[in-house]
Amino acid sequence: MRAALHRARKSEELAGQRNFDRAVAALVGAIPIPPDITEFVPPETLISPRPTWKKQVRHPAFLATGIAVAVIAAVSIFQFVERMNRFPGETTARRLLTTASSTHSMMLDPVKTDAGSLGDFFFMKHRLAHYDVPPKFADFRTLGCRVFDDEEGQRVAQIWVVEKRMQFFIFPAERDPKTGKANEFSGWRYVDQERWTGAVKEQNGVCFMAALRGSKRDLEPYISKRKE
Amino acid sequence: MVSGRRSAPPLTKTDIFSLRSRRGASHCRFQKEVSVAESRQNLLQLYRFCFLMVADARKADEIFHATLREAALRTATDEPPRDRLWFFQDARWRCLEANEQGLQAEDFDVDREEISASAPSQIEKLEPEQLAIWISAAPEPQRTALALFYLDEFDHAELLSISELKPAELAKLLSDGREQFQAWLNAIRPIVES
Repeated sequence: MRAALHRARKSEELAGQRNFDRAVAALVGAIPIPPDITEFVPPETLISPRPTWKKQVRHPAFLATGIAVAVIAAVSIFQFVERMNRFPGETTARRLLTTASSTHSMMLDPVKTDAGSLGDFFFMKHRLAHYDVPPKFADFRTLGCRVFDDEEGQRVAQIWVVEKRMQFFIFPAERDPKTGKANEFSGWRYVDQERWTGAVKEQNGVCFMAALRGSKRDLEPYISKRKE
Repeated sequence: MVSGRRSAPPLTKTDIFSLRSRRGASHCRFQKEVSVAESRQNLLQLYRFCFLMVADARKADEIFHATLREAALRTATDEPPRDRLWFFQDARWRCLEANEQGLQAEDFDVDREEISASAPSQIEKLEPEQLAIWISAAPEPQRTALALFYLDEFDHAELLSISELKPAELAKLLSDGREQFQAWLNAIRPIVES
C-alpha cells in the first residue's frame, strides 16, 4: 500500500487532482461570512467535554450492566459455596432429618446402654457391618433404637440418646452407580432440614449422622470438643 | 421533526447567556477544555457548509442559527453535543430538508471530463456563490460528500461518519464530482488556447 501511495504521488494525474482540490477548497474558504455571524459566534464552545470514567459509570446502561453482572456473580458465588458444602448422601441425610422430626419414642425399641455398644448389636441381630457409632458419641446413653428400611430400601439404624434428645442415624453411603464403590468424603458435613440439623461423617462405606433440633451452633461443640 | 426547528428565530447573544447561566458551574469547567479559537473556526466552517448545501445566504444563516440554538438547548439540559461533528450532522439534515422545499434540480446525466491541468486557473475565476450553486444542485449524497470534502475540515473517518457513507461510495462520489465539475467549468470558463 505504501508503494502504491509512493507511485501515485509521482503521477501527474494525482498532482492535477490535488491542485484541483486545493483550488476548490480555497474557493470554499473564500465564502464570505455574514458580519452578524462573525459577531455572534459565541466565544465559548458548546461541545461537551470528553466523558470521564466516573461519568460513564453513572450512565444507565453501564449501571444496569453492572447490577446484572453483580447479581450473576452473587448467584454464581452462592451456588459455588452451596456446591462446596454438598457431599454424597446429602439427600438421604435430609430425608432422615425429616424422619427425626416426626419420630416418637414409642416407635423405637427401648434400649438403655452406651451408644458405642450398639454397633455389635446391629451386626449381630441385623447383619449390618460397620454400623458403628463414632467414639465422639460412643459414651452417650441411649433411650431406644430401631432398624428400618428407608424409601430407597436402604437399611437405616436409628438411635435415640438422652443427651439433648439427640438422634443418631447410620445408613449406607451413596454409591457410584457404575462401579458400586462408596463415594467417600472426609470430615464432618452439616445439613439442615425443618429446623433440625445433622452432622454427617462417612467411614467404611457407612454414614453416621448425629441430629438434633436446633442449629449448627448447637451441634458444633459435640463435633469439635470431644476427642475421637 | 426538523420543520419545527427551522422556523425558530436566530439565536441571540442574550439567549446564549441565559442558557449558559442555567447550566451552572459544570459549564465553566468544560469551557477550558476545548480551544476557543478552534471552536470559532469550526462554527464559521459550519456556516460555509450550510451555504454550500443550500446556496442561499439567508437559508444558510437560518440553518446555522437553528443548529446553534439546538446545541445551546441541549447544553442547557446537560446533554451537550458529543463533538463538533454533531453540528455538521444536525446542519446537514436541516439543509436537506430546506432543499426539499425549494426548486429541485432535474435528474439528468451530467457530462464528465478529465481534470484539466488548467482547472485551478479556471476555478480562481469563479465566485464562491457559483460553486455553492453547483454543489447544492448535486444529488444527495454527492452534495454532502462534496460540501464536506471541500471544507477541508475533516479527516477521512470524520467525513465517513458525517456523510454516513462507505469509503468506496465516498471515493466514487468525489471522483465523479470532480469530473462533472470539470465539465461544467469547461462549459462556463472555456480554456483559452494560447
